[in-house]
Amino acid sequence: MSHSVGHEETHGGGTSEIKKVTIILSVLTIIELALGFWMIGMENKGLILAIKGAIIILMLAKAFYIVGYFMHLKHEIKNLIMTIVVPLALFIWFIIAFLADGNSFRNLRNTYDPYFKEQSTIKVEKKEHGSHGAAAGAHADSTHKSEGAVENKH
Amino acid sequence: MSNEAVVHAHGAVTTHEGHGDHHHEHHHHETFITKYVFSQDHKMIAKQFLITGMVWAVLGGLMSVLFRLQLGYPDATFPWLEDILGKWAKGGRITPEAYYALVTTHGTVLVFFVLTAGLSGTFANFLIPLQVGARDMASPFMNMLSYWFFFAASIVMLSSMFVETGPFSGGWTAYPPLSALGDASPGSKIGMDMWLISMALFVVSSLLGGLNYIATVLNMRTKGMSMTRMPLTIWALFFTAVLGVLSFPVLFSGFILLIFDRNFGTSFYLSDIFINGVGALPNEGGSAILYQHLFWFLGHPEVYIILLPAMGMVSEILSVNSRKPIFGYMAMIGSLFAIAILAFLVWAHHMFVTGLNPFLGSIFVLLTLLIAVPSAIKVFNWLTTLWRGNIRFTPGMMFAIGFVSLFISGGLTGIWLGNSALDIHLHDTYFVIAHFHIVMGVASMFGMFAGIYHWFPKMYGRYLNNTMGYIHFWVTIAGAYLIFWPMHYEGLAGMPRRYYDYSIWESFKQFAELNRFISTVAMIVFAVQLLFLFNFFYSIFKGRKVTTLNPWGATTLEWTTPIKPGHGNWVGEIPEVHRWAYDYGKDGKEFIAQTTPVGADESHH
Amino acid sequence: MATTTTATTTKLWGGGKSPFNVEYGKLMMWYFLMSDAFTFGAFLISYGTIRFSTNGWPDPNEVFKSFPFAPEGVNAPLVFVSIMTFILIISSVTMVLAVHAGHNMDKKGVVKNLIWTIIGGLAFLGCQAWEWTHLHHEGAWWGSNPFLNADGTASSTNFTNYFFTITGFHGFHVFSGVIINIVMLIMTLMDKFEQRGHYLMIEKAGLYWHFVDLVWVFVFTCFYLV
Repeated sequence: MSHSVGHEETHGGGTSEIKKVTIILSVLTIIELALGFWMIGMENKGLILAIKGAIIILMLAKAFYIVGYFMHLKHEIKNLIMTIVVPLALFIWFIIAFLADGNSFRNLRNTYDPYFKEQSTIKVEKKEHGSHGAAAGAHADSTHKSEGAVENKH
Repeated sequence: MSNEAVVHAHGAVTTHEGHGDHHHEHHHHETFITKYVFSQDHKMIAKQFLITGMVWAVLGGLMSVLFRLQLGYPDATFPWLEDILGKWAKGGRITPEAYYALVTTHGTVLVFFVLTAGLSGTFANFLIPLQVGARDMASPFMNMLSYWFFFAASIVMLSSMFVETGPFSGGWTAYPPLSALGDASPGSKIGMDMWLISMALFVVSSLLGGLNYIATVLNMRTKGMSMTRMPLTIWALFFTAVLGVLSFPVLFSGFILLIFDRNFGTSFYLSDIFINGVGALPNEGGSAILYQHLFWFLGHPEVYIILLPAMGMVSEILSVNSRKPIFGYMAMIGSLFAIAILAFLVWAHHMFVTGLNPFLGSIFVLLTLLIAVPSAIKVFNWLTTLWRGNIRFTPGMMFAIGFVSLFISGGLTGIWLGNSALDIHLHDTYFVIAHFHIVMGVASMFGMFAGIYHWFPKMYGRYLNNTMGYIHFWVTIAGAYLIFWPMHYEGLAGMPRRYYDYSIWESFKQFAELNRFISTVAMIVFAVQLLFLFNFFYSIFKGRKVTTLNPWGATTLEWTTPIKPGHGNWVGEIPEVHRWAYDYGKDGKEFIAQTTPVGADESHH
Repeated sequence: MATTTTATTTKLWGGGKSPFNVEYGKLMMWYFLMSDAFTFGAFLISYGTIRFSTNGWPDPNEVFKSFPFAPEGVNAPLVFVSIMTFILIISSVTMVLAVHAGHNMDKKGVVKNLIWTIIGGLAFLGCQAWEWTHLHHEGAWWGSNPFLNADGTASSTNFTNYFFTITGFHGFHVFSGVIINIVMLIMTLMDKFEQRGHYLMIEKAGLYWHFVDLVWVFVFTCFYLV
């Protein structure tokens, strides 16, 4: 056999399609980066959130083009597409439940853990570069002794 | 990762032709090593999984006997315990550390090594190629690797029991901080590292196996074997493999984060921890609940990874031995599918009291209770399959019926526990132990026994001894109920699980007699399992020989192979399939094999 | 799973051949990648969960703002990582071209494009090595985080913990992808695929490589942009 018959018919695309998708991916990435630059130093919380949402949509679009065209899924038989795309739907509840519970955990701690709440309001001086391990953040005041423990562990 | 190197590309899309011709008869030379050790024959790999699983079942069961000894006789001392356990039973009484190590290892071993590898490893390997009509798995080499990764995992787990600080002792779920901090307990030291290595190897094994099972079921079915003509065993094993492939990686990620927490000073799961004698730990910002989410994202599908193969085999065995078609074949597939989906959506019902958001919890309650629907469909279909059947009470059939009984008894308490309001009272009590041991532990063991009794003739060309089989069945089912039924009452009374000695608690003193009773029954049941082991190994060599191709009068393809099939399963062509797997009692015939062409005057089912 | 409902599906699913018209190796690669997607998914979702349960988080534009050979204290956020991203996209394109050449039994084309893909992969790994070294010199590592939250409060170590774990795991995939591609290159040069009559192995290696690129799309977004 020369090569399998199945692949001839489901070939699809060609170099022109590859070029097209390359351009699309590049443009999407450039838009993402542009949005990223735009966000730097931005104060408007609502707008930042909107931009982040847009970036995530662009990310999904990129994923679609990579999976669909580079990984050739778009040119496979519909059943194969379904067996791969449908299980990915499990991610929806996976993401929602995990993030929602993460958010709930923060609310719980902000409400019932005064230390946690306090730590996230006190501003800290920026540490010098190269102070390896010394600035491991939130425990700066209370646990000087155990700083050493972090160092020893690695 | 390195999969690509081991996947042999067979060019042909039609897999049989490209694969079959060098398998026709097992004329290629086989040495002892290639036939029994590094075998690539799915039937031998299945037996390897089965026997390794049995070794673990004995070890895991023995552990439960040991800790039941402590629970039943908290004040007594047994000098012989010190002889076998040394410092772990000083003065003839199991130490608290040893008790927790036993409980933990019992759970890990039975859930993963016996009821995952031993159950689906055995029967997926054995039945998938035989029942779909394939010469072997899609990739026999990966299949062999799957077993040897499991073997390596077993060796590491076994070794962890002999290290100085003992095996891991923080519960089979390995929640941090007990699992994340070496200082937390003796078992959290090297024992936990070995536990993690062992489990990581196990995940690799299950992935290699699962990919193979899926690819084989989808791609390697013989001519005419459409998906809806497959026996329900294959459907169940297929969904089991899907569950494993999609949920084990999440556990794997959780374990990697745990390894970092243990060894590299991170705090993914750690926050606000103070250890007696060590002081406050610098780790902040992590969340122990995150680990529980990751663990149970596997852990709940894992329940069905254990249960589905048993359901599939029971469906098949009930139908064959009732001499009736399975009732509601499509509904059975649909409910398997629904269970497989729901398995991924309900994990947090194990976490109602962790501080999980109550609103989120209520959604998990709803999704959890939905599982009752497909479960009930299955139960009623099994019962209606039995209804007015011409039942043959073979030992395999007895265990299959026992499975249905246990699944109902254990499933009903699942409805209690699935309600978060009730779970606040019942969580972490003996009620939970009773629930999951009946519905997942013993029921799946029954499915496994049913499968072994039923397919033993195909595996070894001999029958198991029936008398010993009946003794095994009746003692085990009576014992299972006598052990776990009273635990419901203990749990309702608030008796917590995993305590070392209940006699020092005023509220639980009343259960001293009951605990002793449970322990006694547990020992009897364990002894009867040894009888089964004897039956198994004795019958391999001395059992009554199978003389006909199809001793049970079943329709499925495995009974069209020679009595002791060689590597490649069928001599000559693989038979073509013309009908579904459940033509029993049709048109006056007792059964019609799947390979029989549909006659012109045949009625529709 | 859709089963036999219409005439065409009956034919496809009737047994004796693949219902998807693909050989089992490719099917297994696809399902392996699904499984791996859940591994990465679990990592990224864990990262998200911790971010959601924390009040403050460092600003990526403050952390990832340096560039090789640029003077200390240069402020060039997103520049270096965008170069890394483009390297990976281009290497993905050359991989598609290699697969495409394989379909046409064009050995020279396969060799040429595989070499470019391998170079792209190595370049990406080099960039990552530089970035890791640089961050390490600034004091960042597993268990130590020199950066402050965007609002000036103290940050937990989980920012660096997740960064190194997830980019490390991705880097490990890139590394193994490069190894696979090198093996493919050697096999092509030894005429293995010419003898077999098809280049399906390249296609499977390609799937893996694109998956690595795909994961980077998500990692890049989650760590550098949002």
